[in-house]
Amino acid sequence: MSATNNRAFVNQVVIGTLVAIGVSGSVGIGSVWMRHQISVTAEANKAIENRLAEVERQTQQTSTWIAEEEDITALLKRNAEWRLGLAAPQDGQIQRMTEDPVAYHGAKRDRGLLQDRALLPNEAQPVSFRVAMQR
Amino acid sequence: MSKGFASNYRVGLLAGLILFGYGALGVRLVWLHVIDRDHVLASVEMVRREVIPEYARRGDIRDINGELLATSVSRVEVWADPRIVRPEDAPKWPELARLLQVPLAQVQKTLTTKYRTVAQAQAGAPANLVLNFDIGKPAEASPPAVDATDPAAADKDNDLDEPDSTGRRPIKYARFKATVSQDVFAQILKLGVRGVRGDSTHRREYPHNEAAAHLIGYVNEMEQPANGIENYANFFLRGQNGWVETEKDGLRHELAQFRTREVPAADGYSIVLSLDSTVQHLAEAELEIIYQKFRPKRAAIIISRPQTGFILALANYPTFDLNHYNEVKPSEMASMQNIAVSNLYEPGSVFKIVAASGVLEDGLVTPDTLFDCNIDKIDYKGKTRPLLHDDAGDHFAGPIPVWKIISKSSNRGAVQLAMRLGDERFYHFVQAFGFSQPTGFPVGGEPGAAALRRNVPEPGTNRWDDLTITRMPAGYSVAVSPLQMHQAMSVIASGGVMLKPQIVKQVKDASGELVYRFDRMEERRAISERTAHTMAHLLQGVASEEGTAPAAAIRANGIDYEVAGKTGTAQKPMPVTLASGKVVVRYSEHDHVGSFVGFFPASDPQVVISVVVDDADEHFMGKTAYGSLVAAPSFHHLGEELIPYLAIRPPSSSANLGRSLLALEGGRR
Repeated sequence: MSATNNRAFVNQVVIGTLVAIGVSGSVGIGSVWMRHQISVTAEANKAIENRLAEVERQTQQTSTWIAEEEDITALLKRNAEWRLGLAAPQDGQIQRMTEDPVAYHGAKRDRGLLQDRALLPNEAQPVSFRVAMQR
Repeated sequence: MSKGFASNYRVGLLAGLILFGYGALGVRLVWLHVIDRDHVLASVEMVRREVIPEYARRGDIRDINGELLATSVSRVEVWADPRIVRPEDAPKWPELARLLQVPLAQVQKTLTTKYRTVAQAQAGAPANLVLNFDIGKPAEASPPAVDATDPAAADKDNDLDEPDSTGRRPIKYARFKATVSQDVFAQILKLGVRGVRGDSTHRREYPHNEAAAHLIGYVNEMEQPANGIENYANFFLRGQNGWVETEKDGLRHELAQFRTREVPAADGYSIVLSLDSTVQHLAEAELEIIYQKFRPKRAAIIISRPQTGFILALANYPTFDLNHYNEVKPSEMASMQNIAVSNLYEPGSVFKIVAASGVLEDGLVTPDTLFDCNIDKIDYKGKTRPLLHDDAGDHFAGPIPVWKIISKSSNRGAVQLAMRLGDERFYHFVQAFGFSQPTGFPVGGEPGAAALRRNVPEPGTNRWDDLTITRMPAGYSVAVSPLQMHQAMSVIASGGVMLKPQIVKQVKDASGELVYRFDRMEERRAISERTAHTMAHLLQGVASEEGTAPAAAIRANGIDYEVAGKTGTAQKPMPVTLASGKVVVRYSEHDHVGSFVGFFPASDPQVVISVVVDDADEHFMGKTAYGSLVAAPSFHHLGEELIPYLAIRPPSSSANLGRSLLALEGGRR
């Protein structure tokens, strides 16, 4: 093998080696970058999970506080402390209805509308209204 | 062309070095990954691998309106490692004490006590208590290992450290306080007191404190459900813990990117009870009134829906605070007993509904059939049997009809009704009304079937003697629980059907979706609907001016709400010491159980209420604490409060007429 060929081969080896180093280095850096991104993402996920858990905890705590404040004994105590004078309705104060209250109030409102229209001449036709029923 | 740097020698050397480097790396990799793999992995696993448990949140218990009765909240158990406490943090200790709500002296002692003294071994005892600890030895036989006054005396982790040459053991875990809220702990962390740490945990809280304590039950410090719904529905409530397999760094921080497996925790299901917090409050407030007025030893109130068997309220006196169950003194442990379910008592006259229903069901009498209730003995099956006296007056003006036997609560009349049925048939109706067998109520420690049978004499056995038929129809010689008696009255209110008493209404998952719903459960038909309606009409007489409990009647806005019920007053069997020193059990003249069990409106029963007051006699200065005096007024008061709350409509006149006609029709049979 001639010296020129030797040098050319060595140059190729050096270049190839440098390229290999460059490529493997790039792959390594890429791998490290990817791992870092995985780590960052995982940590971000963990932070979100922790935040969710914290919100859930706060919700539970708040629900418990509300339940404690809604305790009848606590409400009666507040009623006395703040002199609100609230009391449960007595039977005499209750108007009992034998029909559906929504339909009753709808009909009551309709009666008013019909009376208004009855003032107009030649408006004797019956008017119907649809009342939304929600159960 | 110049050779430049690339001489053969240099190029060869460089290539050789690179190849050697790669080769060395390869060898090292093979060494680490193949040859020494197990050893290296074991070290890594030990140091870095971590399994983090994810604790499931225990489900809530709610009432029928969604009110929280029991819930789990996140708490932090605060503790200190005195070994790493810095003296320069001492100025922060007062603030720490304030946040923990403990005395400053306790904080100082906890943080400055770095060692605890191991009690000197007793003569002959092993020198190293830890290594020579005998698990099988009873606790009381073990020598005391630590000074009880030491703040860390109860801390288990410290036992892992061996004492030094002076016999002292370093404290690395000293608990300040059982739990604080996360918010308080966040403030504690902000203080920056080194050595103060916390462990997150869930703690069970009961927002309504004493309300329905016997029904709800509680979860103890070991996260074990003790009783009540907490115990009964533990399978649904507890949830399933999860875990995360991950790795940690040198500072013990989790490396989230190395999570290999995540099994999320499945939170427990929620239980929705048929209990109504407001009705429960009314019942407990009524018990408080009973206690203030009569000072009884015990009392119970049960309120339920007769058409479904669902319990609206079940209250006992005495009771306890669920959030402080561990502060109940040993002498007051009886307050934790659900007496409405577990306590057996002789019901007295309320039991007369069994004989009366039986004779009406079999068509042996009509409401107008007359009985001579002035007699004091009666011939039955060839023998003369003495009869109990009648509290209503031993002398009626001649024979009285069945309806008056009920309204006047005649013992002698009830006995004659049972005798019309005969032993076997009477016992049949006793069983049909649910006595001698458990109700199947899931909480409260109901006595077992064998115990209940023992307390209800059966014909043909040695527990059924010649006097049983003269006592049992009037509610003596038989012991039942308040809930059993309540269910028996519910049979009449429900139209003759025995329904299973229930308290759990729904099971919901953590997201609130319905998992299971419990509906009305019929056990059997005890009596016909016609008989039930007739009995309801007859029982209205009890709450009339002529009856034994006019105080139970409810009139609102001039409308009679048709209360049907029965009073009960039974002497309690108490131990008596004779002059000879022998102890015998006799019926006491000074100890009674007074009760009123009823429902309304009789024509369309909406609610069944039982009020049982045990031993309120002291208040009456030696006189009898009749059910009409101690229980019927509470029934009346509760009924008045329930009418607006439960929207109980007044009975219609047509229904009254129908009922009256039905009763008359029954009377013609």
